[in-house]
This record gives sequence, structure tokens and C-alpha cells, in this order.
Amino acid sequence: MALLQIAEPGQSTKPHEHRFAVGIDLGTTNSLVATVRSGVTETLPDSRGEHLLPSIVHYLEDQTNVVGFEARSKAVSDPHNTIVSVKRLMGRGIEDLKSLGEQLPYEFTATDSAVPRIKTVAGDKSAIEVSAEILKVLKARGEATLGDDLVGAVITVPAYFDDAQRQATKDAAKLAGLNVLRLLNEPTAAAVAYGLDSGQEGIVAVYDLGGGTFDISILRLKQGVFEVLSTGGDSALGGDDFDHAIAEWIVAEAGISQNELNASASRHLLQEACKAKEALSNNKQVEINIELGNNKTWNGSIDRNKFNDLIDPLIKKTLMSCRRALRDAGVERDDILDVVMVGGSTRSYRVRDLVGEFFQQTPLVSIDPDKVVALGAATQANALAGNDPGGDMLLLDVLPLSLGIETMGGLAEKIIQRNTPIPVSRAQDFTTYKDGQTAMALHVVQGERELVSDCRSLAKFELRGFPPQVAGAARIRVTFQVDADGLLSVSAKEETSGVEAHVEIKPSYGLSDTEIETMLRDSMTHASDDKDARSLREQQVEADRVIEAIDAAIADDGDSMLDADEKAIIMQAREKLLEARNQSEDTQVIKEAMENLERASANYVARRMNASVQKTMAGHKVEEFKETE
Amino acid sequence: MANQLFSKNYFEIFDIPVSIEVDLNKVSESYHDLQKEFHPDRFSNSDESERRAAVQTTSLINQAFQTLKEPISRVQYMLKLKGVDIDSESDTTMDTEFLMQQMEFREAIAEVRSKDDPLEVLDQMASDLKKQINQLMNDFSKSYEASELDVAREIVRKMQFLIKAQKEVNETSEQLEDELF
Repeated sequence: MALLQIAEPGQSTKPHEHRFAVGIDLGTTNSLVATVRSGVTETLPDSRGEHLLPSIVHYLEDQTNVVGFEARSKAVSDPHNTIVSVKRLMGRGIEDLKSLGEQLPYEFTATDSAVPRIKTVAGDKSAIEVSAEILKVLKARGEATLGDDLVGAVITVPAYFDDAQRQATKDAAKLAGLNVLRLLNEPTAAAVAYGLDSGQEGIVAVYDLGGGTFDISILRLKQGVFEVLSTGGDSALGGDDFDHAIAEWIVAEAGISQNELNASASRHLLQEACKAKEALSNNKQVEINIELGNNKTWNGSIDRNKFNDLIDPLIKKTLMSCRRALRDAGVERDDILDVVMVGGSTRSYRVRDLVGEFFQQTPLVSIDPDKVVALGAATQANALAGNDPGGDMLLLDVLPLSLGIETMGGLAEKIIQRNTPIPVSRAQDFTTYKDGQTAMALHVVQGERELVSDCRSLAKFELRGFPPQVAGAARIRVTFQVDADGLLSVSAKEETSGVEAHVEIKPSYGLSDTEIETMLRDSMTHASDDKDARSLREQQVEADRVIEAIDAAIADDGDSMLDADEKAIIMQAREKLLEARNQSEDTQVIKEAMENLERASANYVARRMNASVQKTMAGHKVEEFKETE
Repeated sequence: MANQLFSKNYFEIFDIPVSIEVDLNKVSESYHDLQKEFHPDRFSNSDESERRAAVQTTSLINQAFQTLKEPISRVQYMLKLKGVDIDSESDTTMDTEFLMQQMEFREAIAEVRSKDDPLEVLDQMASDLKKQINQLMNDFSKSYEASELDVAREIVRKMQFLIKAQKEVNETSEQLEDELF
């Protein structure tokens, strides 16, 4: 029974029109999409009922791709064209990737652009494009469940992501045709999911150990306000590293070097290492039997003690970040009311134990650590879409890494310190050092280190067009503005003349606006091609299945059940289908050939069914079948 | 509404008197109230110019909050309100005894690695510094009230030294932790 709605005087009785928005957790290993429906926040499953979408894209020769479980099954057999853990590559330059290099089976192409591209059979792909494919699938899932009127999405990023990584994520969303309502820090999203659940007020720590990233955030919860006091972490440390540690141990035990393994054996080794890690959650010891290529195998076992020895250094590294975050927040361990665990890697009991020991309390694990971030993001998306008028919830975030500019001698001068609440703007005055100077260059970096070369280069700005004056007379005020998403923009003005300088941005790692436009255009013109290519591929697979079935049947009983003419008709239809499948680009032609074969073999199929029913019933009395339903 | 904030000083934004004594709970509360009103997330369905205005307004609110939250930036700002420029390089005179102390302290930080439990020593240093800074804050308050701005300025300069030392202690702790873990 529907409840009667009574409006307050002066208010419209028309119910508020719900605007659907989704929260997306774009993870290193898995991704999820969630939404709020009829007051319930839930993650959305695919047609098979799976909520998690493995963040894996497999590229095919015909320019199409598959995403998720289907792609995961190709990770071992076709490692070069199957992109896993792409989040680790977001916003990274070719040099960064070289340092990750040994772990990555991909070949990168050198391009003029700042963005490295991975060589695949479907062409060279940037991390942004790969991520966009994952987002497209999640977007489609949202639209299929909610209808086409999706107003936008809140996409989560590790709190520790720098400007380049955030920008790359936003670009991927743009490429996937998603309206980004907000980039939200993952720990903040998790705090929302837990905080709204418990309604408690106080200081909480969110410990987020995912597949490839680690984040620690300290937040204060008060009357619907989630105020991030500090954040820290490591954007290149996660559960994947546990796998690598086990894999390295196996290789060392087996007495071979990792270089001897080919890409496929390497992937297989990692998968086995990951399996062993997961099994150790429930077993004290697990057996490992593994093929290491070149007919080499290794049989052995690993127990929890050995596993703990391998991963303890990694966990200790995360606890060091926790100390730092507490200090930055200006709070003591005793002040922490709750510790929230997020990310699949917090399933490990060792992680829970050591984190509990550090904070002197049992961490909270009541919400599925895989889903908690997406659920929090959905709550925020719902509020931002305007479905929560009068709602009190507000998320106040901080800048994760200091922003600075390059000064004389390659030193970085900090302009905005890490953990400053955002949005934030800072102005800095500069002057000219030569008579008649009308332009200057600025190099913006992000990071805590003294030397520019140790920080992350974000962008080089050229300020042009201020009026020529004697050296030192100009006063150029450069304003650095960081928005609520943690993204930087820069403007400049010559104060004595009031002339706005033209700011030309050369992002060090991100895509330039023109590159994004080109990609968007390409993806739009190719969108219909992609769709056609996909359905063609599906039709071909279907045709293969039908041919296989017919061949198997004929080999089985074709000669006994068909006379020569009947068999010839069927074989002719089979040849026609095979020809259409291999030569036609038109799905309709293949479909018709398939239907033709089905018609030609209809009688044969009916006869086979009768025969198999008779065979089953042979030797039984009719009475026996009466009661069965 | 938002425009009015831009003509207020940071103390006025949070509706508190200009003083070194700041009730951080009260400031934090009105900080949350202001954020609830002006944060860009409150304008997610508004047009571009309103959203941009929200970013600028909250930037100001954040700047004011950050300034008042930390004692050193608070006292610097109080002097600025009186037209006193703290960064002026014109006078370099400084209490020599104080300077000597500072030099010794810096040396102690540099040598901390040779100690048995360097992190413990650093924690003690941090706590000593905190006490000294608190003392200076009291001194500042008296001079400021008495409008002895030159004296107040001198005190702030000393505080800057101690804050810098505090930062150095923290950074050394971080480095040591990096090496230990």
C-alpha cells in the first residue's frame, strides 16, 4: 500500500522528481557501480548477477574489446593485449612506467604526446582510453538498470592521487561520455558509507589497502560534515605487491630468475601467487604446484608464518604513513574513535591484526570492503544530483600533496602545503629580471621533496603578453586555484597595468585539450563501428557454435539417421554458413545462413531427440514415468 | 551574502573578537556552517558562474580557517591587521642570546641520529618547543593588548624561529621513521 503524501503548506504536492546518479569505484583490480534507489544504496550487478567488474580490458584484432571476466580469462593466454591494473598507469609518464617496467608485460610506444601508449592488436592505447572502456561498461550497466536518464557520476580516486592522476581519471570519464559530478577520495567515500550507517561523531581513521594503492585518511565526523584532517599513503603500494612478494619467493625457491619467465608464465605465476594469498585466509598452509614454462614445474607449500614474513615489511610501510597522517592531523592515536577498513587487501588477517595493534582497537569490517567505496560514492552522487534537499551531508577534502613552483637552482618552492582544505587559492607575485620582458615561464610541481627533480612535474606554464617595462617594475600576480576535485588551474595578471597574461598550459603527463577532443571525435565516429563490430563478432561466435553442434551430431549418428540426400542438404547449408561466417561483414547474412541451416536440419534434430528419449526410457516401464514432473 | 565575506577580516568571518585566544571549537563550528552554505557541492546543479563563485568563496573561508587555526599564522595576521609588516628585511637586530640558543638547538637536531633512541629525543624536543611557543604566545598577547607593536613583532619573529625548529624536528622524525621501517 502506498503511503499518503501530505505536503507542507505552500509546498507542491508533486513528488520530487528523482534524478538518477551513480557512484563508481574505478579500482585497480575490480570496479563497481552503485546507486541510491528508493532510499536504498546498493551496487548494481551485471546480467549474470556479478557485482564486481574485473578492471581488465582485452583488445581484439578487429578493433573491438571485451571488459571484465571475459577479459580476465585472456590475461594468461594473451598478456600483451590484455590490460590489467591500468589504474597504476594513470597520469604516469614513460619514465615512471619504466620503473614499474619489470612487472608489466606491455610494450609501450614512444609518442610525441606526453601520454605513453600500450601496443595492442587493436592499436596503441593510453591508460585513459583503457579506463574509459571500463567506465563505458559501468555506465551501460547503470543505464540498463536505471533507464537512460543518468545525470552524472561521482568517481572515486585514491586520496593520494596527484593532479595528473586525477585529471587522467576525469579525462577517462569524459571519453566514456560520463558527466562527472565530483571526483571523490576513496577513504572519504568509505567514511560516508560507515558514518551514515552508525551516526557516530568523532575522529575516524580510514585504512584503505587496495590492489595497487594505499591510502590513510583521518576524518572528523560532525553533524553530517565529513572533514578530512589529513591524508597520506602510497600510490604504488597494494595487495598486488603481496602477490609479487610471493611470486618472487616461489621463483627464488625454484632456483630460477624472474627474467627467465616469459610474459605468459609470469602472469600465470602471479595468478597462482594471488590464489595462494587468498587461500591462506582460511588455511594455515597451502600447497603450490606451478608450471614455470620450459617444462619446469615447482611443487611446494607456503604457510602463514612465511607469508607474514613476506608481507610484514609492506604492511609496516603503510603504518608509517598512518603515523604521518596522525601527526599531520594533529591528533593522537587515543583520539581515534573508529578505524575503518577498506579495499580487498584488508581481508588479510595479518593486515587487520597489525592495523589493530597500531591503533589499539579492532578495526571495523562490517561493510564489504570491496563495495564500501562505491556505496559511499553513490550516496554522494545522490546528494549532488539534488535528491537530498535540505540534507546536511557535506564532504570537506584536503590537497593530498603540496603544490610548488620551480625556482632558481632546480628547487621547489611550496605554494600550497599538503593537507590544506580545498578549494583553495593562493596568489604569488613575480617580477621581471630583464628590461622589456613580456613573457615568463613557470614550472608547477607536486610533492614534498626539496628538489624539483624529486617532485612530480605537473605542467609548464607560459605567461605572455604583459606590457614591457624596466626590469623589476612589473608585478605579475599568479593565482593558483585548486577546486573541490583537487584539480589545479592557474591564472596570471600584471598588477601595475591590469593586463591579464595569457596562460598556456603544457601538461607534463596528461592529455592536452586538443588530444582529448580528437579522441572524443574518434570515439564518436567509431562508436557505431564499434557496436557493429561487436555484434558481428557475436554473430560469428554463434555461427561457430551451430557448426560445431552439427558436426558433432553428424559424426555421432549422421550416417545411421540420415539418407544420402538428407545429409547432402544439411552439409550444403553448413558450407553456406561457414562461408558467410568467414567472409561476410554483414551480421544479417550470417544470421540468415544460420537460420537456413537450422531449417535444413530441423527434421534431423527432431529424430535425434526422439531417439535419445527412447534410449533413456528403454528398459523402463511406462508407470515409472507417470509420477515424475 | 557571499560578497559580504570578502569585505570582512578573518576574525569577523567567524564572528569572533580579534584575539590570540581563539575558541577553536567555535571557529570549527561556524566553519562548518559557512561550508554548508557556500561549498561548491551545494551548487552542483547551478550554472557555471555560480559554481565558480562558490569555489572562490570557499577558498576564502578555507584561507581564513587555516590562518586562525595555527597560532603562528594567527599572530602574523593580527599584526597585519595593525599594518605591521612581519616580513620586512629592514631590521636584522635580534636577541643574541636567543640566536645562540637556536643555533645550539639546530646542532642538537643534526646530531640526534647518534643517540640511542633518537625518536624519543625528538619527541622530547617537540614537547619543549611547544612549551616555549606557548610562553611566547602569552607574551605576545600582553604586548598586543598594550599596543606595544614593536615588542609584539619581535616576539612573532622568535616564534617563527621556534616553528621552523618544530618543523625540522618533525621532518627529522619522518626521515628516521622512513629509515627504520
